[in-house]
Amino acid sequence: MHRRLFLSLATLTLAALGTALPAYADALENIKAAGTIKIAVPQDFPPFGSVGTDLQPVGYDVDMAQLIGEKLGVAVELVPVTSANRIPYLQTGMADLVISSLGKNAEREAVIDFTDAYAPFFNGVFGPASVSVAVAADLAGHKVGVTRGSVEDLTLTELVGDGVDISRYEDNNGTISAFLSGQVELIATGNVVAAAILERNPPIRPELKFLVKDSPCYIGLNKNETALLAAVNAIIATAKTDGSLEAISQQWLGQALPVDL
Amino acid sequence: MIEFTFWDILRNLLLAARWTILLSLVSFVGGGLVGLLIMFMRVSRNRVLAGVARLYIEIFQGTPLLMQLFLSFFGLALLGMTVPAWLAAGLALILWSASFLAEIWRGCVEAIAKGQWEASASLGMGRLQQMAYVILPQALRIAVAPTVGFSVQVVKGTALTSIIGFVELTKAGTAVTNATFQPFLVYGLVAIIYFALCWPLSKSSQFLERKLNAAHHH
Amino acid sequence: MRYQLNFDWLPQYLPTLIEGIGVTIYLIVVGAVVGCLLGIVCAWTRALGPKPLRPLVGAYVELIRNTPFMIQLFFIFFGLPSLGVQMNQLQAASLAMIVNLGAYSCEIIRAGINATPRGQFEAGASLAMGRFQTFRYIVLVPALQRIWPALSSQIVIVMLGSAVVSQIAAEDLSYAANFIQSRNFRAFETYIVSTLIYLALSVLLRQVLSGVGWALFPKRKAAQ
Repeated sequence: MHRRLFLSLATLTLAALGTALPAYADALENIKAAGTIKIAVPQDFPPFGSVGTDLQPVGYDVDMAQLIGEKLGVAVELVPVTSANRIPYLQTGMADLVISSLGKNAEREAVIDFTDAYAPFFNGVFGPASVSVAVAADLAGHKVGVTRGSVEDLTLTELVGDGVDISRYEDNNGTISAFLSGQVELIATGNVVAAAILERNPPIRPELKFLVKDSPCYIGLNKNETALLAAVNAIIATAKTDGSLEAISQQWLGQALPVDL
Repeated sequence: MIEFTFWDILRNLLLAARWTILLSLVSFVGGGLVGLLIMFMRVSRNRVLAGVARLYIEIFQGTPLLMQLFLSFFGLALLGMTVPAWLAAGLALILWSASFLAEIWRGCVEAIAKGQWEASASLGMGRLQQMAYVILPQALRIAVAPTVGFSVQVVKGTALTSIIGFVELTKAGTAVTNATFQPFLVYGLVAIIYFALCWPLSKSSQFLERKLNAAHHH
Repeated sequence: MRYQLNFDWLPQYLPTLIEGIGVTIYLIVVGAVVGCLLGIVCAWTRALGPKPLRPLVGAYVELIRNTPFMIQLFFIFFGLPSLGVQMNQLQAASLAMIVNLGAYSCEIIRAGINATPRGQFEAGASLAMGRFQTFRYIVLVPALQRIWPALSSQIVIVMLGSAVVSQIAAEDLSYAANFIQSRNFRAFETYIVSTLIYLALSVLLRQVLSGVGWALFPKRKAAQ
């Protein structure tokens, strides 16, 4: 009984592991062979990715993911991620690409590669009219919410030092909920994100206090995947000229794509 | 912009609760199988096996389930196994449940009087035979109530899998909160659904305890 | 995939980890002490207190024991502000731990009280002790001694459960781990280190609790 149990367990374990893919040589080849590309997208970051009434992700990043799948001729498997875990998803092979309004910085460039920019993004500090803050120095004594590990988190932490009370949430759901329930007075996030929240007529209005950084969004992928990088860059370049990216921008951001992106 | 009606909120939460139920079932059944194995090792006369089982229980009961989930999620992938969130979540929950069930059942096995081992040994039964025909049937009776009671912990434990991205009741709750800006309503509903899942289990555990243990009170 | 484990980040982030450990210890001390006091009050109410209050306490206990800690935490932190109850993340985390342990310890202590032989109440009465004195000296102390091992296990479980308070940005040990892994991109190593710290904390906590047990019930034999 003892042994039989052990054997059946071992079989179960092996069966579970059987679904695992072998270590790959070239990501693009594997994607084509599998006929599926796994793309990490946000589901808590409107207008880049949020959930509809059926809880499926929709948004700029989701449309971008579909566009890339279409051009590569493979099916897209959307993998919902949070700001904090999107890079581990990539590193551990649970996603082939991260299209999750990912900003570029030196720390990230040390561990993953980036394509060309595919979306504009200005991050800043937002809060209700009753909080008077105009520059970073005014933040002293205020409570600011931010999503852990996001570009806003990294830049703001560097900008204000220890004098400001920064609350870091696991995901954007947490950050936005903390702001809307009054747990933090201000949030650091993207301008279009704040606009998307405003549009939903929230109880506390995130109005712009000041912009922190122009930090366009890039698609992230694992290091040394030159074929995949080239393929995705070619798709982005075409999308910028043939109007398909412009259409996505108009739909989700309500503005034209900046020419210098 | 997308507007959620009350029905939309409730429907999404109930749909997501299906995954909570499924994950609970998988974890509980899987945890039971692994737990049985650990329990046998723990009561075995082989010191190495018993030691391994003790260490296993110590580690899984001595660290947060949340950390076990993170490690299972990121660790498996580093071993070269790409696992979806539900599999990593299921695996961690199975291993965690096993450590508790093994201890609960060991308590039951040891509660069966020691004399019974000797009595059955004198009948020329081997250790496994004694286990299967003498000890387990009696231990089973006293194990039912605490085992059902533990299932409540498994259901509640599944809430943590939302953090590694598995979309179940809690994750749906945070997503809907963010889309509706009604945390009080949404988390209230989420709590009610969990309560509806757990309370009958708690109650039946108490009922079983009274009923099955009645025989022991003289 | 060739993945080399790397712990070079550890010295740099050691202070972050230590701060996190401090908050986790703070939470468990506050949660355990206040939570057990709440549990004693509730257990008294349910077993011997005013009849109208008993179902109320019962409802509180059932509600807490049958919903996940994380939902209780979210409800307190994100939900209560809509009723005008605002508190910071550390207060919300402490409150959630107290409320949670209060419900579990109530049930454990009540079981201890119910196991008190009837004769002891009468013995108390014959010594001209008041109801509260009888409760304290004759019922509570032996009951606590009886259930101390069960209560200790529950405190350890609540300590391990406290890892989710990082979800509301309370800066405990799991928050430190999440914070570090969002900066060093070494998720696995970071969680290994923090998991080992939790393991050490739970071993330590069990030692402390058994020490407290010896100190509280010095002249008696170990719980039977």
